[in-house]
Amino acid sequence: MDFALSEEHRLIQAAVREFAAKEILPVAADLDHHPRFPAEIIARAASLGLLGLNVPQEYGGAGLDGLANVIVQEELARASAGVQTIITVQNSLVCDPILRFGTPEQKSRYLPRLATGEWLGCYCLTEPEAGSDAMAVRTRAEQRDGQWVLNGRKLFVTNGLEAQLAIVYARSEPAPGARGISAFLVEKSFPGISVGRVEQKLGIKCSSTVEILLEDCRVPAENLLGERGEGARVALSTLDGGRIGIAAQAVGIARACLEDCVAHAQARQQFGRPLKAFQAVQWALADMATRIDAARLLTYRAAWLRDRGDRCTAEAAMAKLVASETAMWAAHRAVQLFGGYGYIQDYPVERYFRDAKITEIYEGTSEIQRLIISRQVLDGR
Amino acid sequence: MGGVCVIATALEGTLSRSSLELVGSARALQPLGLETAAALLGHGPGLAGAAAELHRHGVGVVYRCDHPLLTAGQSDAVLAALQPVLARAQPQVLLVAADTVGREVAPRLAARLRASLATECVQVEAAQDAIVARRQVYGGRALATLVLRARPAVLSVKPRALDVPDPAPVDGRVEDVEVSIDSEALPARVRQVLREQAEFGLEEAQVVIGGGRGLGGPEGFALLRELAHLMGGAVGASRPPTDAGWVPVSWQIGQTGKTIRPALYIAVGISGATQHIAGVSGSRTIVAINRDPEAPIFSVAHLGIVGDYREVVPALIARVKELRGT
Amino acid sequence: MDIVVCLKQVVDPELPARDFAIDPATQRQVREGRPLVISTYDENALEVALQLKDRIGGKVTVLTLGPAAASGDAIRLALAMGADEAVVVDDSEAPQRLGAAKARLLAAALRRLGRFDLVLCGCESADWVERVVGPLLAEALQAACVTFVSRIEQVDGTLLVRRLADEGFHLVEVRPPAVLAVTSDESNRPRLPKVKDIMTARRKPVHTWPVAEVAGQAGEEGPLEVEVRQVTLPERTARCEFLSGDPGEQAAALVQRLRELKLL
Repeated sequence: MDFALSEEHRLIQAAVREFAAKEILPVAADLDHHPRFPAEIIARAASLGLLGLNVPQEYGGAGLDGLANVIVQEELARASAGVQTIITVQNSLVCDPILRFGTPEQKSRYLPRLATGEWLGCYCLTEPEAGSDAMAVRTRAEQRDGQWVLNGRKLFVTNGLEAQLAIVYARSEPAPGARGISAFLVEKSFPGISVGRVEQKLGIKCSSTVEILLEDCRVPAENLLGERGEGARVALSTLDGGRIGIAAQAVGIARACLEDCVAHAQARQQFGRPLKAFQAVQWALADMATRIDAARLLTYRAAWLRDRGDRCTAEAAMAKLVASETAMWAAHRAVQLFGGYGYIQDYPVERYFRDAKITEIYEGTSEIQRLIISRQVLDGR
Repeated sequence: MGGVCVIATALEGTLSRSSLELVGSARALQPLGLETAAALLGHGPGLAGAAAELHRHGVGVVYRCDHPLLTAGQSDAVLAALQPVLARAQPQVLLVAADTVGREVAPRLAARLRASLATECVQVEAAQDAIVARRQVYGGRALATLVLRARPAVLSVKPRALDVPDPAPVDGRVEDVEVSIDSEALPARVRQVLREQAEFGLEEAQVVIGGGRGLGGPEGFALLRELAHLMGGAVGASRPPTDAGWVPVSWQIGQTGKTIRPALYIAVGISGATQHIAGVSGSRTIVAINRDPEAPIFSVAHLGIVGDYREVVPALIARVKELRGT
Repeated sequence: MDIVVCLKQVVDPELPARDFAIDPATQRQVREGRPLVISTYDENALEVALQLKDRIGGKVTVLTLGPAAASGDAIRLALAMGADEAVVVDDSEAPQRLGAAKARLLAAALRRLGRFDLVLCGCESADWVERVVGPLLAEALQAACVTFVSRIEQVDGTLLVRRLADEGFHLVEVRPPAVLAVTSDESNRPRLPKVKDIMTARRKPVHTWPVAEVAGQAGEEGPLEVEVRQVTLPERTARCEFLSGDPGEQAAALVQRLRELKLL
């Protein structure tokens, strides 16, 4: 077992760390205080190959493995969880399912545009009546005149405002539950798809979260992604990767908390000594570092399993569960350590606190992750 | 056998200031028991006065070389002209100013003469028969002491590291040295000299305010200019703002940029992590304003303010205006 | 155009003060355990070379002198940025060598490499800052020399380069072969490698030459050795007096102190 990163992985980590520090970090606070889509940063990230990390080079991507993706996501999230959300959705929730389930024509048509950042993608699964109960999808897909016609409402769609491509899950078969769902590649230019509400969020503010409306949305037959009725399989396979990406995000946010706490503990003096001289602070930092390292190793392990093609559903759930709870705990601790300054927007820790919370919710709440893990533990599946 | 030879230049018409600083280094080498001469290279009517300046500071023999190609930046012409001059002077020690031309000339001269070489020296002295030179290393964090025993020895001295010495007039003589330089044969030739806008000579100012990466953009410099104007000073910058194009490169202070020794230097939003400190450490009083209390600049500053320059500098401006009654 | 870029690996100059130490045995900075980076201005030199290749085509070879085991990352990064080939002169003594000795070895390596139109290097190394390697290489290779080059303006038979000068800058016409020592500029900020180029870099050729071989072909030319008697950290006797309070109070306190020091 080799815990060392390969030379490539190290260089990628260093390059993205530098990009994040020089180009994302300086504007991260402003992107949160005056939320807007960070177009220049996303364009720069695209030029460095960060929007199609796992897309093969023949389609214009970087052709890297899942471990590289996890490394990149952590570095980006350390600087801005909002920016990183945009990028991780592109990689894990849009490029990935097209890679795994797309036809050669679909791959040639969409992957190059996504990998170069020419197009942004979004993932439409959640509905008002289908949150944790994701398979309760009600959006309908009917065949009419050789085309699919979609009707329904999708909620909480990240990148929904800026995306040119949406992966939409709709009920196409009479079978109830998971077996009735199919996945569709819907271009925003198709008639009948529009953006509804634009949500105001607690955190990750520079990434858009919107409602997508489908009103007699016409989708060509060749835009079915995967087989009819295979939609649940597409969704769940995608979520495995998505969860690993969110785990990496959470590790990045937690690391931001740790690094800023360390700097603060060295600089801030009270009672005639720097904070780092107090044992309570030392212990808090020790706990933070340890838990972050544990979360990171779980994340790397899940990525490694997925890269090998092994089943990784429970391990991805473990990584996401531990990492997200660590991020929330670390952010809570960080605000406390900074005291009054932790509550003030001039300092970044309150943003980490607000950003961290979503990692316990989206792509499967912590409750769902526990359900998945317990199934593995109790039923071996 | 010759002695110490100062390579003095008047490439812009008058004797460069650093040429006189070199005379100071030559004096420090007096224990070697060598005569000090100067090679004076330049062009135009100012050369006579330049030679006189050298005599006034104690240089007896001036080997003067006047040629129309001995102008700003013409290192290859300077090297070509030095050939006959040095053949005449046969020096054991050559002192060169580490300015634009000297930086190129000194090492190449040392290679051609098979001399020992020490560049960018901030101090030069004699120790028995050897020359001891000190230079800044590791971005100004440390000082290296070099010992040069072999002769000839070529040393380049950092401009402004030393003061111009006091006059010590002697009856000197000038030997004119003829040189022919084929301009077509020069591998590198200056086509144009472009001077940059500088409101105030950064190197002469007694008060300098430097802006760094912490200013966040070119707008911050407007505040610094206002303060500098009130205090009668000049504005400079560390490397990141000049690299980013926020301010002209000629504003740069630091090892690659200008070395300054004002009475007062105020560093705003400068971390001081790299060579910047080397460029300002000679300042009499250093004030640092930075948000980060761990910034390395505070280890060389005499007075420190931990805070946001966007609040501190306007407050300073207000206070100074108050003081001035404006 | 055939361009060779000389890269030197140094301990990160942005190292925090507490990690900076001088090894009394070697009178050099302690490298053990410290992060290594490509010397600052060498990166700018590489960027200038790559921009020139982008503009007029040609080949960029990077050449480094140092312990091969430690050079991997620097070489890989340079290749990922766009260099075509790398040569490592494996020299474990390199961190101790002064510029003159290095220039001699680099010149021998360059002669072995064969033809080149341009040699680019940083105007100074981030650690020892002698500013000699560029000019000494020019002498050893009988090439033209310009230092503190911030950009190459024009190429058409001859080169027109911009050199940073005390009072502004000079436009200098240079005839290849030439050695250019490069300084930083807004036009030559080093590019970040694309992640896929980091992967493809491993397919680019890297040659490792033992220093003994190269030294055997090195000439005797150049300046003579000097002794480095010691490298010391200056005594920092000044302790910073921090002015506290809100910005208004800090400003008032500063003005007060400056008046006391007769600076205002």
